[in-house]
Amino acid sequence: MLKLLRMEYLLNRRQILIMLAIFSGYFLFMAYRIDSPRVFLVTLCLMMGLAVPFGFVGREDKFKTAALVCSLPVRRTTIVLAKYAVSGIAMGLGLAYGLLLATALPFTKISVAEILTVKSVLISLFLVSLLSSFIIPFTIRFGLAGIIIFLVSGQLLGVVALILAQLLGRGPNPLRSAITAVEKGLRTLLYHEATPGFLALLAAAIIAVNGLSFLVSRALYARRDL
Amino acid sequence: MESALEVRNLRKEYPGFTLQDISFTLPRGYIMGLIGPNGAGKTTVIKLILNIVRRNSGEVRVCGLDGLVDETEAKARIGFVLDEPPFYGCLRLAGMASVVAPFYKTWDRALFRSLCHEFDLPPRKRVNALSRGMAMKLALAIALAHGAELILMDEPTSGLDPVFRRELLERLSGLIQDGRTSVLFSTHITSDLERVADFITCLRDGELLFSATRDEILENWAIVKGAPELLTEEVQPLFIGISRSPYGFTALASNKEEVRRRLAGRGAVIERARLDEVVFFLGQKDRGTTGGRR
Repeated sequence: MLKLLRMEYLLNRRQILIMLAIFSGYFLFMAYRIDSPRVFLVTLCLMMGLAVPFGFVGREDKFKTAALVCSLPVRRTTIVLAKYAVSGIAMGLGLAYGLLLATALPFTKISVAEILTVKSVLISLFLVSLLSSFIIPFTIRFGLAGIIIFLVSGQLLGVVALILAQLLGRGPNPLRSAITAVEKGLRTLLYHEATPGFLALLAAAIIAVNGLSFLVSRALYARRDL
Repeated sequence: MESALEVRNLRKEYPGFTLQDISFTLPRGYIMGLIGPNGAGKTTVIKLILNIVRRNSGEVRVCGLDGLVDETEAKARIGFVLDEPPFYGCLRLAGMASVVAPFYKTWDRALFRSLCHEFDLPPRKRVNALSRGMAMKLALAIALAHGAELILMDEPTSGLDPVFRRELLERLSGLIQDGRTSVLFSTHITSDLERVADFITCLRDGELLFSATRDEILENWAIVKGAPELLTEEVQPLFIGISRSPYGFTALASNKEEVRRRLAGRGAVIERARLDEVVFFLGQKDRGTTGGRR
């Protein structure tokens, strides 16, 4: 496992530096412009959850090196576990960096007390887990091209949703209903009172989402012929 | 005799192609050549041994270890050179080695460096700047640097210049002298096999045609040439593949002595079969251009 993590580091160190530079610029801009800690949190998680696992898992596809990794003396389960571990570590560090940057900068509009709470940290982890737990198995199954098609399709769907909203106004619109449902879900999550029960539920959900995603990814990777 | 590789009833089904219950054994300290026409299943066999393709059934044992149950231990004993070396193009050669090395307890850094020097591989060069032949050399250097007991090579000589090809074959012959290392390599260049292989395994359309020692094949198999009238109903079953022309026939037989006995004094020419002729006739069989039965 440690060998795989070391390999991921060696293969990704340049990308990590590039991403750090891009994210720093983005976080600085966000911290300067956004005064809502909740909006900051959601956009931060979106960035992390989408970009990080996509880069780590898609790399084998990009270089066509999955055959090399799977020929090394290591089990496929361990390879998948390492992908989750390295994505988790990178996303965790990215979140910590983003949150610290948002609170430590002199021009920030977000206060430490608002964002560095157990609830916001758990919500961040839950959101990135939700995204990455979908992105990782999807990339394993459909490859880099598949995930790019999916993300572009998501954007096109957004355009269609906007056009439909314009055309149909407030009338029945399935896309609008879906987006509203997601928005409501997010709102409930972000504004829910930080009771111990709620926090425990969040922690359990993080474990469950990641665990389930790992099992799916493992099954998909085990079936792959390279 | 202790075996380096045992393949038992190995089966893989793809849409339109099935590798059908292949079995063969490679004893420790020998070289086996895997031959057959394009699409015969040679690469699939090598990938199945490496577990990068999942088998439908069958068993693979590497140095006595089960390829699935003891996957990690078995793979630690394998060195591989794939047809398209799957390396990270962005890395330099030294970087590529440092990515792979920690996975092998027996990795010999000094040996890798000396192999790079011997193969004219500049350690500072990026992998994506290597030619196919150079990438093959890198794959071979990596396979040798961890002291693999079983080396699997898929068409290793196809991208190499004649000088290095010869050197590689000599190196392979040298490798097995320790009695510990074994080599399985697939190739279309049958002259390479005649030079170094101790065993030959031949596949066609996913079926195992034969797996035998090179000497057994070269001693027992024969190319028979003769006039058309020699090709009687009685004689035809002796041949595996027959190429006919208005002036005569050329055929492959797997029992030289039997052919010699049956055709003695009837003007037939019986020659020792070369491997390329064996592959040619086996490849032609059942395709309508030749006659005869096995």
